[in-house]
Amino acid sequence: MDSSSDHSTAQKLYGVIPAIELNSWESEELLDCLTELSDSQQDFLLHQISVIWPVSHSLCLAFLEAVRPALSCLDKEQFATWVRGILDRYESQGLQEARRFMHDLDNHFICTLKGQTGLLLSTIKNRLSLYLRGVAGRPFDLETAPLPGTDTTSIFLPRNSTLFGNVDANFLVYKLLASLQWAFIRGNLYCHEVDDEEALFAKLGRPMPSEPCSAIFLTRFFDSFAKPETAKAIYHFLQSFRALAFLQKRLPGLMRDSQIYFRTIAAELSVNLHQNELLSAEYAFILKHLCHNLPLELPSGPGWHECRPSAWWQDRDLIFVDTNRIYATSKDSSDRPLAQPPYFLGSFLVDKAHARRLSRRKEVEQQFIEALSIRILPALSKKDAKSPQESPTAERPQQPDSGANLTIRLPEPPDDQDKIEPIHDRVVRHIRLDDQKIDLDHKLQELGREIMDDLGNLPQLYIDSAAQMAAGRSYEPNMNTPEQEGTALKGALLYDEWDFRRQGFRHDWCHLLEKNIHPSGGTFISSALSEHRGVIKQLKRQFEQMRSHHRFVGRQRDGDDIDLDALTEALADRQAGLPPSERLFVRQLRDQRDIAALFLVDMSSSTEGWVGKAIKESLLVMAEAMESLGDRYAIYGFSGMRRTRSEVFRVKEMEEPYNETVQGRIAALGPKDYTRMGPPIRHFSKILAKVEARIRLLIILTDGKPEDYDDYKGEYAIEDTRHALIEAKNAGIHPFCITIDHKAQDYISHLFGEVNYLFIDDVKKLPRRMPDMYRILTS
Amino acid sequence: MGTQRIEEHYIVTEPYYRVHGQELTIALAAYEHQIPLLLKGPTGSGKSRFMQYLAWKLGRPLITVSCHDDLSTSDLVGRYLIRGGETVWMDGPLTLAVRHGGICYLDEIVEARKDTTVVIHPLADDRRELPIEKRGEILSAPPEFMLALSYNPGYQSVVKDLKPSTRQRFIALELTYPSPDIEAEIVQHEAGVSKEEAEKLVRLAEMTRSLEDAGLQEGASTRLLIHAGTLIRSGIAPRQACKVTISEPLSDDHELVAAIDEMISSLY
Repeated sequence: MDSSSDHSTAQKLYGVIPAIELNSWESEELLDCLTELSDSQQDFLLHQISVIWPVSHSLCLAFLEAVRPALSCLDKEQFATWVRGILDRYESQGLQEARRFMHDLDNHFICTLKGQTGLLLSTIKNRLSLYLRGVAGRPFDLETAPLPGTDTTSIFLPRNSTLFGNVDANFLVYKLLASLQWAFIRGNLYCHEVDDEEALFAKLGRPMPSEPCSAIFLTRFFDSFAKPETAKAIYHFLQSFRALAFLQKRLPGLMRDSQIYFRTIAAELSVNLHQNELLSAEYAFILKHLCHNLPLELPSGPGWHECRPSAWWQDRDLIFVDTNRIYATSKDSSDRPLAQPPYFLGSFLVDKAHARRLSRRKEVEQQFIEALSIRILPALSKKDAKSPQESPTAERPQQPDSGANLTIRLPEPPDDQDKIEPIHDRVVRHIRLDDQKIDLDHKLQELGREIMDDLGNLPQLYIDSAAQMAAGRSYEPNMNTPEQEGTALKGALLYDEWDFRRQGFRHDWCHLLEKNIHPSGGTFISSALSEHRGVIKQLKRQFEQMRSHHRFVGRQRDGDDIDLDALTEALADRQAGLPPSERLFVRQLRDQRDIAALFLVDMSSSTEGWVGKAIKESLLVMAEAMESLGDRYAIYGFSGMRRTRSEVFRVKEMEEPYNETVQGRIAALGPKDYTRMGPPIRHFSKILAKVEARIRLLIILTDGKPEDYDDYKGEYAIEDTRHALIEAKNAGIHPFCITIDHKAQDYISHLFGEVNYLFIDDVKKLPRRMPDMYRILTS
Repeated sequence: MGTQRIEEHYIVTEPYYRVHGQELTIALAAYEHQIPLLLKGPTGSGKSRFMQYLAWKLGRPLITVSCHDDLSTSDLVGRYLIRGGETVWMDGPLTLAVRHGGICYLDEIVEARKDTTVVIHPLADDRRELPIEKRGEILSAPPEFMLALSYNPGYQSVVKDLKPSTRQRFIALELTYPSPDIEAEIVQHEAGVSKEEAEKLVRLAEMTRSLEDAGLQEGASTRLLIHAGTLIRSGIAPRQACKVTISEPLSDDHELVAAIDEMISSLY
């Protein structure tokens, strides 16, 4: 390479990445990589670098290390897809995962192109979780793991399903695996405790394990055998049998469809199974039934034929008795190695399920205490005489009343006519605090039931903690803290952002906070109202005329009343020998405006001064006029800095009345930071889409281009905003833009479309033009 | 336009209705004490069928009005018509029921405009009278007359709700979906399918109903199950039958429809 071409390459590179951002070794590395390529390849690669560099510098350098093989074997389209894949992985799983993805081009990418990766869980997660929710009647989290399994809250499934060449069959595999895990949960796979453990061990003729032993019943049970792993495998086999038989009964269609899967598995298994291994014949036996969709049977060996699987549902000790017996009969051969269970049965995660149960217990405890403390707070605050520190105590009703002032009332025995499952009568319905009965709401009842199911009782500690928490709360100066500027109303919401360079979303990229704005006093409102008095009066009259009104239409075929004029005419006609009209009625018609509008106001720092004042005045005039129209409307401001702090400020909610507070908030609108338009547009599209109205308007008031402190500027910002607006339109919302910018023409019609904007060159006209625009827009 | 004849509104043969709670006892008590009835419940849960059954049980004519937002007071009370140059008064369905001591059933009352709903107020309290303004007449309802309304509280719409002044005149009965075995019995009877088939349909319905928190507006109603059963009985493949009667009518959302289809293919 001669130095002149080196030089031009460097020029190109600095056109993409400012030289100032690069240290010397980075720029050397980049240049080394580029100079070896042809011009067109250089340009192409530089474009990709421009996409990756702003996301992460180290990712970009790692990308260049790995780029050579990809450049040689992928065409441009594929290459762009590959880069998208890298960015997705970087954003979802971090640099390490992105590196792995880049370096293992063959496994991670080429095979996708050839259609060999099968079906990714992430692509069908939504559908599968809806399916599972319907089938199971409750939601589960779907997570990826090498082997299928469950901890009773989450269901683990492989990251992709590659067995078959087509999507439907691979989806079927997921469906089967997920349904089977649900069936395991239904079959109480991780039986946490039995009614009477001592009696069970006695029945089995095994000694109770001595100290120290595991906190988990199942582990204690397995450990009581000489070969715990064998006992575990037998138990898991029986549970698998039960779950599969349950599925055959409950979801016959699934099991019939799955024959194709079982046959493929069986073919593989016949190679891998060794007759010598323990349980291998049994696995093959049930698999044979599954392949032909025959009702499942247990193998007919010694020990097996005494099993009564159908009775397992009634007596939960029985499956342990059967495990014990099968273990005993296969004792002579227990030196044989254990067979690997077929893949679809998954892994048996005793410890994980236990850990999950404990963490859930903590969660429920927290939620219960929190909710209960809020619940008993009003009652507590009524008794001022008592010291709030004095903690009320809880009593179970079956215990003698010891004069405690807080009792938990368990439900009375259920009515005879309603057959209630035993689980239902563990509902805690109310709590007694002194003489006041405090009903527990639905959520507390649910939590209470979960605790009772788990622990068998409601621990005293929970109620004490709740009472203490409530006592602490009642000392707080004011429960309804006054509105303060900057108080976030709820946690940050995550929104995607559109990256035009990769033609894809950056998922959950922006954090949006909804905040209060503290109304300000001052003279702004009164002076603005008096200044625009004339306009407001005129607008009010105009808007009044647009209101919905009743009107009578005469000469109808039917209606509420007789149209006397028409009748007279008809009678006259008849007298005259003419055919009389049949349109003799008056009918009342009602024209209804069904419009919801949301005004979104730019609060970026550039609105300081005249522009900001004009915007505020326009909002005020607009609000005044809207009051006489009766349309529902909301006003919000937006600003923010960087993707992690997009903020929207609530001036007026949709159903909130227009009053002095709202006026004060309009007055308090002030310049803040930058104009990142995407997140607020996505946020309010979501809100507006839920408003029931014939027409939903999103009116954006801005003074310039979308722009943020970070790389959200130029084409990137415009394309993201444009995409957000397209999303809004797809949600049935009409976006409209009012812009105060001298250089607006070049991008604004690209953003909003030819007719969906109003361009105002003189800011003083805004208070007049804005209501005008609204009138035209909605009539 | 012919005058409506009350005889047409009698229900002669016993309609099929499976009582699954206290609803009949309460409705009969309400009738005896001349208190109007408000039926709440999701769509297709048997509100209209229950009214037919009640009317048959009481031996009274049933006059059903399906409410809509164009329904005016005259549509309910009656109006003058012109026939051959003369005006003729014609009773509306409400007046007809009051005159003949029938049962007037206003189906989906929230669909009617609020000003229309107000005409039933004097009928629905202890005055039990219907003023017919155009004729300057006040009709007193005989003891046999009963007023019944129905609505579906599941539509969480601000616009469509009953005014408290209206709802507080009624005894309210909530007709939810019956328990699985009773629902299966109903499907079995109405669609003429086997017990197993009916039970399977009910299981499917329960699956769809648990999607109500996940974006589905309402789960499959008993009525949809009967449709599905009827198609299955007429020889249409169950998966197909359930798709056209259950998953497609329930939603337009692709993911939801696909998920329900997967449930169907798991069951059948």
